[in-house]
Amino acid sequence: MALQFGGEFEIQRALEEVYDFLSDPHRFGPVLPYFRGLTVADERNFEVKVSVGISHIRGMADVKLNLAEADRPRRLAYRGRGSLAGGSVDFNARFDLEPNSKGSKVAWKGEAQVFGVLTSIAGGLLQPLAQKNAQKAIDGLRAALESGVGDQEPGVSGQSPVGSGQLSVLGSPSPLATQPELAPPLAASSPDSEGANSQTSASAAETPVQGSE
Amino acid sequence: MTEEQKTVAKSPGSNRWVGQSVARKEEARLLRGQGKFVDDYRLQGTLHVKFVRSAYAHARIASIDVEQARNAPGVAVVLTGAEVAKLVQPFIEIGPDPGGKILDYPMAVDKVHFQGEPVAAVVAESIEAAEDAAELARVDYESLPAVVDAEEALTDGSVLHPSSGTNLVWQGEFEYGDVDGAFSKAAHVIEIDRLHFHRFSSTPLENNVVIAQWDASDNQIYFWCNNSFPAFAIQFLSPALGVGIDQIHFQSHDIGGSFGIKITNYPYMAVCALASRACGGRPVKWVETRTEHMTASAHGNERTFRDTRVALDGDGVITAIESRHIDDCGAYPRYEPLGCIIWAQVLPGAYRVQNMRIHFSQAVTNKCPVGPNRGYSRMQHLWFLERVIDICGHRLGIPADEMRLRNYIKSSEMPYTTPNGCVYDSGDYAAMQRIAKDLIGWDEWQSKIAEARRQGRLIGIGIGTTLDSGTNNFGQSQIINPRAPYSGQSEGANVKLDIYGEIVVSIGSVPQGQGHETTAAQVVADVLNVHPDMVKVRPGFDTDRNVHTGHSGTYASQFAVTGLSAVHGAAAKLKSELSRLASFALGANEDDLEFGVGTQGPEVKDNKSGKSINYWGLANLVNVNNAGLPPDLDVTLNCRYVYRAPFKVPDIQRKYGNLTLTYAAQLHIAVIEIDRETYIPKILGYVAVDDCGRVVNPAIVRGQVFGATAHGIGAALYEDCRYDEAGNLLASTFSDYIPITALNMPRIRYGHLESPSPFSYNGAKGMGEGGAAPVHTVCAALQDALWSSGVIVKDSHNTADSVFRALSTLGLDRGQGLGARD
Repeated sequence: MALQFGGEFEIQRALEEVYDFLSDPHRFGPVLPYFRGLTVADERNFEVKVSVGISHIRGMADVKLNLAEADRPRRLAYRGRGSLAGGSVDFNARFDLEPNSKGSKVAWKGEAQVFGVLTSIAGGLLQPLAQKNAQKAIDGLRAALESGVGDQEPGVSGQSPVGSGQLSVLGSPSPLATQPELAPPLAASSPDSEGANSQTSASAAETPVQGSE
Repeated sequence: MTEEQKTVAKSPGSNRWVGQSVARKEEARLLRGQGKFVDDYRLQGTLHVKFVRSAYAHARIASIDVEQARNAPGVAVVLTGAEVAKLVQPFIEIGPDPGGKILDYPMAVDKVHFQGEPVAAVVAESIEAAEDAAELARVDYESLPAVVDAEEALTDGSVLHPSSGTNLVWQGEFEYGDVDGAFSKAAHVIEIDRLHFHRFSSTPLENNVVIAQWDASDNQIYFWCNNSFPAFAIQFLSPALGVGIDQIHFQSHDIGGSFGIKITNYPYMAVCALASRACGGRPVKWVETRTEHMTASAHGNERTFRDTRVALDGDGVITAIESRHIDDCGAYPRYEPLGCIIWAQVLPGAYRVQNMRIHFSQAVTNKCPVGPNRGYSRMQHLWFLERVIDICGHRLGIPADEMRLRNYIKSSEMPYTTPNGCVYDSGDYAAMQRIAKDLIGWDEWQSKIAEARRQGRLIGIGIGTTLDSGTNNFGQSQIINPRAPYSGQSEGANVKLDIYGEIVVSIGSVPQGQGHETTAAQVVADVLNVHPDMVKVRPGFDTDRNVHTGHSGTYASQFAVTGLSAVHGAAAKLKSELSRLASFALGANEDDLEFGVGTQGPEVKDNKSGKSINYWGLANLVNVNNAGLPPDLDVTLNCRYVYRAPFKVPDIQRKYGNLTLTYAAQLHIAVIEIDRETYIPKILGYVAVDDCGRVVNPAIVRGQVFGATAHGIGAALYEDCRYDEAGNLLASTFSDYIPITALNMPRIRYGHLESPSPFSYNGAKGMGEGGAAPVHTVCAALQDALWSSGVIVKDSHNTADSVFRALSTLGLDRGQGLGARD
């Protein structure tokens, strides 16, 4: 089942700041909806755990992301694959950045292909659900950028710099816990019918299976 | 006259019990919840399997990590497809190359070919532990392009099986008569660009279940399984597992339906056996979930009919048909190469057309493998012929009933030899049409429909005429593969007196609800002149009874012919032995003996002396009190008989020969209205007329007719194994598949005709598959309702949605489903 979504937004940040945010797993990963944990393999590959599902029926999904295209500061693209009970999803997400009078314009586009019995069970819900979560990710991204997360130097979020080897956030003192500025925008996400991402990614990372959902 | 009495040509019979609606012997246990299904078996130390299945329809397995699963609590063993491949040989392929080169292992090895294909088996102390551990298995896939359309598959843009190098399984030309000559003389030539028979399945109450135990002490494998063609399964399992046929023991008791699709569950049998061996011979059980069943058991064939041309004379009589048929067998052919010939059993359907040219090809696609689902292969072809005759009738302005009457094979022509050498044994399709029209009130409906149409309502009446060919000749497999080691057809049965004189019958078939115990008892009761209650028929199938043959099973509408012929033969042998024994015991001439029931049960009586001996006495003489028996009195009272159907190997070059022994027929009529607001098709009236030759048990036949009718209506209006372009099955649960239930089943009026078969000892014909008559009939009624709107029914599955789209896009033929009229 093929899903497509996209859009654009403007942000009062320089292209480089936006680019650096998007290309840093430690900052980009946690803005994904229902983020529960992060494992960074190298500067281009990382894995996030997210809680996915509908309403109270949820499970953990492992999503592998590869920074497939990195053309600083104009363009970057991720290729990803998620696996969860009942299905898998392959996706591509691309960000095209342009300077404008306010700072930057971000055009984003995503394509996903869902596999598995999930497509039958969730059926027609998948497209709106994906659309909603994609929008949620973009909202989180904007909020994080606007609240200053982007001020942080790339690659310093944690005790192990990116590229120095495996950095697992799960079950260990999270480097994200040192980022109080990340909390407000995510905590501000209002609960909805799918449950709310009301915890900070840090506390969620420490208790990966005890989400608010 | 009641509906039940609408019987034509009922032949007088001397049978006392055959022909009666004897209450089913099976009901006593089944209705009390005392049936014994495979999942009811409780073997000590049983382990349970959960399969890790692919979410992808087509992907390369980049890596598979089952270490966490292996270390999970309660896990006994985890087998991956690659590990299994080292333990077995690939299953044999029925077809020749290129399909014959396909490597079919019990689980995916390095690639997955359909969504739901198993990639690993987790075996644990409980099913819960197995399920939890299965979730810990990590499989990395590299997605490959999925092919979900057979026509596209034949372009080989994405090849499923590298070992074969092509998605083509088999292809061949079937040409009979003078096709070109007929077209050159035709008064009318009608062309139909594309017809499509959709993919649906059966939804037996009981899913697939296997218990396997590979006993290392004697290297014997024991299966308790609901496979419905175990003689075939064993022939596949033996070389794959590297054991002799005699080392495989198979047993079933009660089975909650199969409809053919359980014939191909042998890959799961193999995995369970291997897991058992890996666990020191502990029994290993697999109980399929409904979603597993929908996703990865077996579906019915999907078939596309291309470039059809029909030649007709000035009276609307079809003189020639040429067409190109593409069969979609899913990811692995398994039983399916046979589907490339089985349709030819009914090459002209119920019609007299002599000139036919069909190019038939079969392709693999990234979808669930298909199995011989009820009416298999003939059903798709018969639907095609019914669409042809229906569309031609509408085009020429000939009413549906008249169009068929002009083209039917006449009863006076029976036995009728078809252009490809099949012999239709008997039948009177025109008479069946008369019965059906009478039951539905054809003339009254014509008036009502005309009035309804004046009011702007979409309403139509349609006829479906179809055949249920039974007792197939496996020699037809040689048309597909000249090296195939199969021909003919046989079934075995054993009738004996046990030590205490009880009549015990063992059959080689695998009953799944067809009432084999009852009808077998009726036959034996008639032979021995006893009551059916005095005949004990062992439930289920068991290789260790040594009754079966290599053809044994329940498939292809044949029990009434093969199974009962075997039972009859065995009972007659027993009677002969009893006669000789009683002659000795009573000092009587065999000519003076009479079989019957006396004051001490079943007995043999000397009418001259008045003396008698009951069955206990006779059995006693042979089994436990046999001193003094003359040495030349060679009786065992344990009589096996093998019935062999009178077949020859077909002419392989000409694709000519008798492929089936009997031809039951169904003629259905439906009246359907399409709601103008919701577009939901609603059945306003439905009649099913059946002719299965001499009826052995009217109640059982009626039940099977109703079952097949329900199945067909469900297929026509609700049930659809549809896939998206990525190979995701979009109907993996009953919420989406919508099997028919009592809530959407219309009232059926039932009639029957008896045209005794001259080719079976009892005049019976195999039945039960029903030829998918409702699919043809519903399409015909919808066609009648929509013809004036300019719509042609081109798909076998039609819903409110497809009707709405067809009417909304009138004039824009999308080439699928309902299409605009040319």
